[in-house]
Amino acid sequence: MKTGLRYYAPFWLSLFAGIAAWEIAGRSTSAAFMVPFSETLVRLWQLVASGEFMRQLADSTELFLTGFVLALVVGMPLGMLLARVRVLRIGIEPYLMIIYATPMVALIPFILSLMGFGFAPKALVVFLFAVFPVIYNTVEGARSIKPELLEVAKSYRSGEWALWREVLLPYTLPYAMTGVRQAIGRALVGMIAAEFFLSATGLGQLIMSASQNFDTGGVFASILIIGLIGVGLMRLGLMIERHFARWRQ
Amino acid sequence: MTLATSAPATVAAEKPARSGTLVPRLITGLVILLVWEVVVRAYAPAYVAKPSTVIVAIPRVIVDPAFLSAAGSTLLAVAEGLAITMVFGTIIGLAMGRSPSTDRALRHYINGFNAMPMIVVLPLFSLWFGYSGSARLATIIFAAIFSIIVNVADGARSVPREYIEVARSFRGGSIRGLFEIVLPASMPYLLAGLRLAGGRALIGAVVAEFFVSVGGLGMYILYNSRSYHHAEAFVGVIFLAAFGLSFELIINGITRRFMPWYRRDEQSS
Repeated sequence: MKTGLRYYAPFWLSLFAGIAAWEIAGRSTSAAFMVPFSETLVRLWQLVASGEFMRQLADSTELFLTGFVLALVVGMPLGMLLARVRVLRIGIEPYLMIIYATPMVALIPFILSLMGFGFAPKALVVFLFAVFPVIYNTVEGARSIKPELLEVAKSYRSGEWALWREVLLPYTLPYAMTGVRQAIGRALVGMIAAEFFLSATGLGQLIMSASQNFDTGGVFASILIIGLIGVGLMRLGLMIERHFARWRQ
Repeated sequence: MTLATSAPATVAAEKPARSGTLVPRLITGLVILLVWEVVVRAYAPAYVAKPSTVIVAIPRVIVDPAFLSAAGSTLLAVAEGLAITMVFGTIIGLAMGRSPSTDRALRHYINGFNAMPMIVVLPLFSLWFGYSGSARLATIIFAAIFSIIVNVADGARSVPREYIEVARSFRGGSIRGLFEIVLPASMPYLLAGLRLAGGRALIGAVVAEFFVSVGGLGMYILYNSRSYHHAEAFVGVIFLAAFGLSFELIINGITRRFMPWYRRDEQSS
């Protein structure tokens, strides 16, 4: 039986064991090293109650959304264009692959040196992290279209809209959504990276200032929150991807 | 989609890969380089990297001992981190794959850590390990291990029943069964995990070097871009990308050589 206590017991047990281990480890080592779970929760509550957490969350969300939406607005049309124009896609493919495989973090020092501190360079970082998965995956989707389909459409003198509706969109959209899922994760990484290495705002600043003040409890609390946000966003991304995977043939 | 349409499709899709692709790719590459050069010359300060300065800088950088020791330091750390990751990741992954209760117990932690942006632990690791190479190694391991665990667990879970039953009928002990049956059967998954882990390990190393100021390729890039030597710093980026690419090629080569029957599933994250 996959339901009931027997099935879920290990999950709750391990959750409880994890919390207990955290608590014990925190109490038995120095406060600079590790902070018990209970104190972490207290610190978290302090951050929320003082409004600081919400302020930083708002800053981070603004940064994340700006970069991410920009990446979608630029990436998806570009990806679709590359899906439609074969010769362009073939030309760009290898360079796209190289850029997609390059760690974007390595470009952060250049952006810092060129654009300094401020909102724009950080949004640019998030944008760069997010845009290439979208483009690359959309192009992957375009590559999956069997050439016969396009040939048949052409031989029937299919109009442009029909071409999109019947062939291009159903094939590229699921892949594009995979790209969106990856982009969500990468945009989160980019956001934190920008907040660490460019000017500190938002959730990144929370962690940075906590670690600089040796407020280990604050560090743990912030990591916990960001971890939960990361999990939540990944779930969202998977949901979006799965919804469109129904179209996948 | 019937088999009839899929077989010719692969042939038709393979054919253009020879002649028709080289010219567009060359032209696109040249256009990209040209646009880069012109735009940067026209609008950006003189120190910004452009193809002309980068190409000139490459021979200078390659023989620069500072660069070589930085590259060596990073690569060594990544190799060390990956080795440790492989050992522990495989053990945990096998445990999760073969034991449903271990899997259910650990799965949420593993997925949680996997979803967390790896940069987030940097301040914590710098508190724990100080501003040293250990912090970088810890970051590399943290970045890479979850890819290995998840993939090995997947592989261990999907070992065909017949293999296990054959092992049991030969009265193989379960530890022996683990090493001689489950592990080889999960090799494709392990390699897929290794491919992902390598990329993440590299990112972890660079990001750790940014944060903790440990000598390495990341520091080289940071230092040179701060001192307005963008061309030299860009050579560092090229080297990073090249290393990532060659790692990918090596893994692909190993997969093809030792497991020619295996078709890679797109399980990218």
